[in-house]
Amino acid sequence: MYTIELTNVRKTYDQFVAVDNVSFNIEEGAVFGLLGPNGAGKTSTIRMMIGITAPDTGQISMFGKPFQRPQLQRVGYLPEERGLYKKMKVLDQLVFLGELHGMKTANARERAIDWCKKLEIAEKLQNKVEELSKGMQQKIQFIAALLHDPDFIIMDEPFFGLDPVNASLLKDVLLELKKQGKTILFSTHRMDQVEKLCDAICLINKGVPVLQGELKQIKARYGKSNIQIQYEGDGSFLEHNPLVSVFNNYGNYVEVRMAPGADSQQLLKMVTERSRINRFELMEPSLEEIFIEVVGKTDA
Amino acid sequence: MRNIFLIARREYLERIRTRAFIIMTILIPLMMAGFLLGPGLLMNPMSHGARHLVVVASRPQTAESIREQLTKVQEQQNKEIAESKKKTLKRTSETPSDLTVDVDTNTSADERTALTQKVRNKQLDGVVWATDEALAVEKIPFITREASSFIQNAEIGVGVDRALHREALKAKGLSDQEIDKVLKRVELDPQDALGGGSANPQVTFIASFIMVMILYMSVLLYGINVMRAILDEKTSRIMEVMLSIARPSEMMAGKILGVGAVGLTQVIIWIGTAVLFMAGNLVASADMLKGAISPQMLVAFAVYYLLGFTLYSTIYAAIGAMVNSEQEAQQLQFLAVLPLAASLGIMFNVIQFPNSTIAVWASIFPLTSPLVMFSRIAVQMPPWPQIALSLGVMIVSIWGLVLLCGRIYRVGILMYGKKPTLPEIIKWLRYA
Repeated sequence: MYTIELTNVRKTYDQFVAVDNVSFNIEEGAVFGLLGPNGAGKTSTIRMMIGITAPDTGQISMFGKPFQRPQLQRVGYLPEERGLYKKMKVLDQLVFLGELHGMKTANARERAIDWCKKLEIAEKLQNKVEELSKGMQQKIQFIAALLHDPDFIIMDEPFFGLDPVNASLLKDVLLELKKQGKTILFSTHRMDQVEKLCDAICLINKGVPVLQGELKQIKARYGKSNIQIQYEGDGSFLEHNPLVSVFNNYGNYVEVRMAPGADSQQLLKMVTERSRINRFELMEPSLEEIFIEVVGKTDA
Repeated sequence: MRNIFLIARREYLERIRTRAFIIMTILIPLMMAGFLLGPGLLMNPMSHGARHLVVVASRPQTAESIREQLTKVQEQQNKEIAESKKKTLKRTSETPSDLTVDVDTNTSADERTALTQKVRNKQLDGVVWATDEALAVEKIPFITREASSFIQNAEIGVGVDRALHREALKAKGLSDQEIDKVLKRVELDPQDALGGGSANPQVTFIASFIMVMILYMSVLLYGINVMRAILDEKTSRIMEVMLSIARPSEMMAGKILGVGAVGLTQVIIWIGTAVLFMAGNLVASADMLKGAISPQMLVAFAVYYLLGFTLYSTIYAAIGAMVNSEQEAQQLQFLAVLPLAASLGIMFNVIQFPNSTIAVWASIFPLTSPLVMFSRIAVQMPPWPQIALSLGVMIVSIWGLVLLCGRIYRVGILMYGKKPTLPEIIKWLRYA
């Protein structure tokens, strides 16, 4: 069964087409990435999934049935626009949001306390939200989305503004939820952050999906044509080399893409002749590169 | 429904716990008491106490007559004060005054200067200059240190006027009894042909005016809170979380009910306190109001107050949904204040002519009906179908407005930071 299924969904605001003919579905228990640059239509797509707006045309089904509001009690949503009632105490706030998702007061309370312990902010339960740091508020927001044990979790830019420690904490929690069989949808423009987590993706640009499918298959399609090289000495000869089509210097290492038909062994030989190699690794292309390539094609 | 209840409960509990709520609950009645009692306390000592006047007239009998009437006016007043003191336990600040009036027939300019000097030196409190010259031009100078004290001036004026009338009638050869009879005032007793009560129209007016003021004040005080509550949702950016689980109309209804309940709690506390004080102290005024306020008026007040308050809160909610900041909201507040002020104006007309066309229509039109229909009920019971119609129209308008606000609010989240124009808002309403 699909947790969510979008079929030919289109949404326009006035003349502006925010989302055009988007279709994808997410398998139960999968981690799905809705990717694209800023303004691509990711948030508009999500807002239609959770009934904040309705699509102009197309269908949305959730948990195998056409969208209905009561289904939202099984959905956890972390919006890109974070917000909490600032004057409200943390515990009261979590209980309130839990109750709105159909939880009993006592149950909501118990789970709120458990979650706060888990994310190491239990001592702030009686504080007002405005007294917390940004990072702590993020944690509360995160708990608010997960408190009612949703089967479908939607996270819009979840890592935005998180420090590395909290980002990793969040990642661990999400992996645990994945293990429990929850369906997770990430929406982000920072593709490097979710690349490691996603089973499948949909890349959208200017409201139109440009690439979608299982991540492994997509990467396989683009092959291992990238090479990371770490060396001592002058590497400038790589920049205008007939064997290389794309050259990126990252300071400590360079990443190149082979020209079509070029042999990586030939390149290795060339490099060993001119410098001392510490690392020479054949890589899959990153999602970001694939995206730039795809978008570059569609834009052109 | 559960969502509306949860949202309203949160709003209510969060607000009622704030320091601002507690301070307002205590401070407003104190301020009101200050406004009502303060000026009285300050004014009375000035206009009363022992006073010493001199009446100057060309003829001694004129001066004597004025003296007699001035003393009579004062005696009558002292009697009224004594009576009201006996009747109520209220410790009135009014005290009977002693009035001494001397008579003088020296009408020379020197005498006038001398007397004026005495008034200035506080040896005298006033001089009534009723010389023949003054009588001829019908303008009698009253020399006083408190020329702006209209209460005192009116008292003296009444006394002098009566004295001169009596003098004129006496000159025609009428006896004192005949003069008394001629000058006695006649009272008009209005009878309601439609079978309404014969309540004192003045008291009815005051009673309905007080209730109208309560409604007016609460709309102004709490309507803005509803608006703020919705703006708060926007500025704290929580609305997207809320909208992922609750309908916008549920949000609106919850906010309006929650904030409204806070206002009601406060008003009930105030009225309760006032009733307690009145029961203890103001027996006379309570009796007076008891005659004027019928049970049906109280029911009508409760119903129209609740509906009117809800309707206006909804308008404020709509304003909150349309804008992004309080500054912007202030420009739109006239939308709520204007119909309120208009119905206040119509209300005066209604009390004069309760069955005029404008009164009937204004009591059915939803924005004016809370105030206007209530004052109609207070003055003269309108036909039942009209009352039913006005209630129906109001309930439908409230629900319609809630749905409308919900739409504005939902679409508003897509447009942060930009002030919407009216055409844009109309366009929003069409978005699903």
